[in-house]
Amino acid sequence: MKLDANIGDVQSAIDFRDEGERVFAEISGRSYQIEVRELAAGRYTLMCEGTVFECRVEGASESGKSVDVFVGNRQFSIAITDPKRLRSAATASAQADGAARIIAPMPGKVVRVLVEAGAQVAAGDGIVVVEAMKMQNEMKSPKAGMVSSLEVEQGATVNAGDVLAIIE
Amino acid sequence: MFQKILIANRGEIAVRIIRACRDLQIAPVAVFSEPDAGALHVRMAHEAYCIGPAASTESYLNIGAIIEAAQKAGADAIHPGYGFLAENAQFARAVGAAGLTFIGPTPAAMEVMGSKTSARRAAAAAGAPVVPGTTEGLKSFAEASELAAQFGYPIMLKAAAGGGGKGMRQVAGPGELHSAFAGAQSEAAAAFGDSEIYLEKIVEKPRHIEIQVFADTRGNYVHLGERECSIQRRHQKVIEECPSPIGDQSLRERMGEAAVKIARAVDYVGAGTVEFLFSDITRDFFFLEMNTRLQVEHPVTELVTGIDLVREQIAVAAGAKLSFKQEDIRWQGHAIECRVYAEDPDNNFFPSPGRITFLRVPSGPGIRDDGGVAEGDEVSIHYDPMISKLAAWGPTRAQAIDRIRRALDEYAVGGIKTTLPIFREIVRDEEFIAGRLDTGFISRFNERREDRTVDESRTDRDMAVIAASLAYARGQSKAKRSESSGEESKWKKAARDAGLHRAPSRRVFERR
Repeated sequence: MKLDANIGDVQSAIDFRDEGERVFAEISGRSYQIEVRELAAGRYTLMCEGTVFECRVEGASESGKSVDVFVGNRQFSIAITDPKRLRSAATASAQADGAARIIAPMPGKVVRVLVEAGAQVAAGDGIVVVEAMKMQNEMKSPKAGMVSSLEVEQGATVNAGDVLAIIE
Repeated sequence: MFQKILIANRGEIAVRIIRACRDLQIAPVAVFSEPDAGALHVRMAHEAYCIGPAASTESYLNIGAIIEAAQKAGADAIHPGYGFLAENAQFARAVGAAGLTFIGPTPAAMEVMGSKTSARRAAAAAGAPVVPGTTEGLKSFAEASELAAQFGYPIMLKAAAGGGGKGMRQVAGPGELHSAFAGAQSEAAAAFGDSEIYLEKIVEKPRHIEIQVFADTRGNYVHLGERECSIQRRHQKVIEECPSPIGDQSLRERMGEAAVKIARAVDYVGAGTVEFLFSDITRDFFFLEMNTRLQVEHPVTELVTGIDLVREQIAVAAGAKLSFKQEDIRWQGHAIECRVYAEDPDNNFFPSPGRITFLRVPSGPGIRDDGGVAEGDEVSIHYDPMISKLAAWGPTRAQAIDRIRRALDEYAVGGIKTTLPIFREIVRDEEFIAGRLDTGFISRFNERREDRTVDESRTDRDMAVIAASLAYARGQSKAKRSESSGEESKWKKAARDAGLHRAPSRRVFERR
């Protein structure tokens, strides 16, 4: 997952993969492999190369909203922005206007791609099928247009918010 | 001995007194204002009575309501704690008139020491050195001007009815006197209802050193040594220690003797504190004022002497003889206390009220925390925003510092801002560690702080970003999961509506 983090006036990009007890993260070119234990919502013990970081995130995390994060007793004020959230929010309000993005609603696996890039589709046509929690979910095109890009292929793992295809 | 004691206070001191009552198996009765109904001190009491709405004047300062609660509860005695009505002679009289014992000194002693000018006169009459200045209120600006010149600038104008740093003005030279005089008078009138102000010469490089005194009703007087309280912000103590890092045994004896003389002069009973200013330059000490109550920082004396002051207050009020003599008192090791307040050090120490979402109080060897809140409690805007007093004892001052530093690092509070971060810096400061203290400490520390480069650990920042990202991502997944499980139950609902069942009914089999 790719996110932007704002601490004060410093902005950094983070790219991470959450595998539950292990997390791989890259922040502004620095790579980390971290063991994670979640004690409660927002409370994590991170272990990086043996060093322990006791972390506590206060307040509900919302894209763009600032939360207080404690690492040991050092306090930071961080706002996480989900670039996909911003774009999809923009798309939702500007329907007829410009490209439509097909976005994965939850983490899952692409089990079938129903169209090819460049194909003309009608509103309601199936574009990709995503499997999550033993259910298959056919993602349909919201408008008539052309599949300008397919971001995934069969077998790909997706996270919530990932863009699967763009219809123009 | 008393069966029931009503504690006319709230927060950490109410909790402290409740604990002493429980030690003695005396039933503690709490009082609370409406917003304090869920407070820790109420939960820890045997009985509790609501005495009014949020405003202190209508609750914790409401003499009638408090005495009524005591009578309803059938309490034998009232402990006033500190602040609120603790030094209010009218309250002490009302308690006595209601047939209850007031745990503290006589109303007369309170009145003599309650006015700073009359206290200075009493101390001087008892032969103690007082801070050079007037022992009567200033009658006019002209008089102030003349006396200021006589004593010599810089001078301090102070409220006779004052305390807590209010109604005080430091005056560097004659040019500032006029506005300082007017300002001090009006602030005194607003804060204490009494515009009387007096004048003191400023003591050079003063250390605030106070002596704990104790007396019973049988004429026994002792002193329990000194506390150094020089680390103050706007005349409010923030860190206290016992003994003073000065470490002068003969000074302790001389100051102790002076304090006892002063206590005797007003027929003092119970716990009291005589405050002095000690000049690091001239090595003289001067009487400042006497507090006719238990002091906030009493834990450091308890840790070093091993004497339970609140327990002793209760015993003495019940008529017992002091359980120790002057020669029995020993000072062992060193104790340091930090006042943890719900204030924002990055925003001029503005109060930071709110709900405590997380609380981890330190523990381990030599650590004592006197707290008034628990996790989930609300720190209210109506009262003193104290979370707790964190104290550490060690066999030496250096070890006490090791422990308080460790304990401050362990302490974690969520949901509100606290003074913990500034304490973590102070206990690592070289001047603090060297014990070079006087009342100018905090302003010099702030200057040193500006010059210091903050050790910004990039790894910590990165971990914070990772934690925030995880919280976001996992929060989103969780939300999605609960949304989709909602869809699943719609299937079930549809099946139910269609009258479909999972298994054939028993009756069908039985019929065959």
